[in-house]
Amino acid sequence: MIRARTFTDARQQSHNNAELNWWIFMRISGLILVFLILGHIYMTFIQVSESDATFDAVVNKLASPAWKFYDWLILALSLMHGANGARYSIEDYVRSRPNRAWVKGVFYTVIALVFAFGTVGLFSI
Amino acid sequence: MAEGERRSATQGKAAEEELRMYRGREGQWAFLLHRLSGLAILTYLLLHVFSIGSFIFGERFYMAIHETYDLWPFRIGLLFVTAGVVYHAFNGLRIIIMDFTGFGVAYQRQMWYGVLLISVVAFIGAAWTLYPRLMGGY
Repeated sequence: MIRARTFTDARQQSHNNAELNWWIFMRISGLILVFLILGHIYMTFIQVSESDATFDAVVNKLASPAWKFYDWLILALSLMHGANGARYSIEDYVRSRPNRAWVKGVFYTVIALVFAFGTVGLFSI
Repeated sequence: MAEGERRSATQGKAAEEELRMYRGREGQWAFLLHRLSGLAILTYLLLHVFSIGSFIFGERFYMAIHETYDLWPFRIGLLFVTAGVVYHAFNGLRIIIMDFTGFGVAYQRQMWYGVLLISVVAFIGAAWTLYPRLMGGY
């Protein structure tokens, strides 16, 4: 993980391009997610009631390609952002190398399964 | 003072300043809260994708999960998820400003109190708007 306060620090500290690219990705995806997620919360939680999220309402909403795309963008960006953020925590707190390997293995598998499940769900309608 | 010495003295000062920003002060709490809220949001996201995506198993399966989530602890929990997302979002913007502008680090403490204020306002605002629904059921 990169502990840097500026882009220049981050570039100097990164051992490889992948780590620097993740550092940049976290900032860019975060900026996009601010709008996507706050909009999503406002539209689906503040503006309408939870009881409106019935089976039919969900199916009807996701029939529209625009909502499919909006929700899939949230799914993809937030899972990558969240997975990388959790990776920082795992690398900081799981100190032994073998433990880190299996914790990461299980964790990435769960992320991949949820991503596949969400994508199949979105595009199955 | 030789050029090299002067440079290392400046670097030492910068490193000291960095420690002061993270150790035991606002920067450390901002960092800790950012991690905790991030992990909490990720946990919620995994559950959320599963429970909403479960409509592919049919209406009965979907509604069984949905009715469980209608219990009051979950309804109140949504408020904390909202506040957590608002904190994580605005503290993330604070991090971006610190990383990519010249003035960001100088005002990081003030910005953090702004982030806290926005989060509290969002929590109270959401609780105020949703109070009848959260208490009385949907």
